[in-house]
Amino acid sequence: MAEKKQARLTKVLDYLKHDDPFSKGVAFCPGCGLELLLRFIPRVLGNDIVITGTPSCSAPVLLGQNNQSWHTLSYFGTLMTGAAANATGLVRYYRKAGIDNTVVCFNGDGTANDIGFGNLSGAAERNEPFIYICYDNEGYMNTGIQKSGTTPFGATTTTTPYGTVSRGKNLRRMNLGLKMAMNKIPYTATATLSDLDDLAKKLLKAKEAKERGFCFLHVFAPCPTGWGADPADTIEICRQAVKTNYFPLWEAENGRIRMTKTVKKPKPVNTYTKLMKKFNHMTEADHVILQDDVDYEYCLLGGLSVLEAECQLPVSVKDQGETS
Amino acid sequence: MSSNHYFKHEGPWSDAGDPLMCTDTGDWRTRRPVVDKDKCIFCGLCAIYCPIQVVEMKGDTHFEADLDFCKGCGICAKECPKGAITMISEGEFVS
Repeated sequence: MAEKKQARLTKVLDYLKHDDPFSKGVAFCPGCGLELLLRFIPRVLGNDIVITGTPSCSAPVLLGQNNQSWHTLSYFGTLMTGAAANATGLVRYYRKAGIDNTVVCFNGDGTANDIGFGNLSGAAERNEPFIYICYDNEGYMNTGIQKSGTTPFGATTTTTPYGTVSRGKNLRRMNLGLKMAMNKIPYTATATLSDLDDLAKKLLKAKEAKERGFCFLHVFAPCPTGWGADPADTIEICRQAVKTNYFPLWEAENGRIRMTKTVKKPKPVNTYTKLMKKFNHMTEADHVILQDDVDYEYCLLGGLSVLEAECQLPVSVKDQGETS
Repeated sequence: MSSNHYFKHEGPWSDAGDPLMCTDTGDWRTRRPVVDKDKCIFCGLCAIYCPIQVVEMKGDTHFEADLDFCKGCGICAKECPKGAITMISEGEFVS
């Protein structure tokens, strides 16, 4: 009986080779996607990583309070405008001192896409050897749910409220992952929390690829508090985001995009939006706009991945992908 | 030099001698996950999806949450493929 049960054990547990460096009771909201991601990263990559981060939802826990801390990792707190630049400094120091470790720059979408994007872009251009992980909760959740560049069309936040004048955000969201893939850095990937084996594979691949240069991971992490969702639905939201192509999973090595999970029959986007209150007010017409946006981005990605497979790339580009 | 012996301290701000901070997050809970041991197929999905990572293996028969720290979000009950975990109101456990 017991052996039969053992055989069903999920394979994700095999990736969790290291101890959890965080203490058990940590001040994150119940059902927080960020907490799962934050505990997952050191368990896969090892506890000798150095995390740098900015003021965000992750900072109260990563930085510690008074003169005590919540975890045993090394953490370097920086400003939002200089996240990637500080990580660059750390990496260069470690290289000069001959210390071999992994620097993980762990930021929210506000830092990665809006405030610290200049640094991120610069680090990508210089191909600095560290891993940049952006957890995307689609807004500035720590300061009180303001809209950010990755907030989707129609979402209500405190700065884009629903009322007589405003009907949620009236702009389209930016696609941060695709922006970074176009920089032709060694490794770019999107991941989410419903596919943890996929996330673990991508983390390990990024650790390997960081020997060749800059790695960027865009992780979709729902915020039940900010989105008005049931905390129990966190993983379900991630799953539906993938199934509706709202957040497709792909990876790009040297800018060559490959889908890691293709959905055969994508569901309409309202199966995703009905899971949370921030889209409650949206009408059919609003859903059409959001659906068009999602379809457009997915078509673009699909087209790029097909192009990579079909077109005759110059030999030098192919070599770069395999050897450098 | 892969082992990072330069940074073996408790954190950036802390005294190395201080213990880690820990909040009794179990106090936040309004609903408690209760596992039906017979229905549990030992797939471990509750353990990997638990944001706090407090769902632990109990021998090799079933998984159970550490109620000292479980925040009662209900992800384990939602993700269980067999519906072996039910969220029961804390009021029922008050004696």
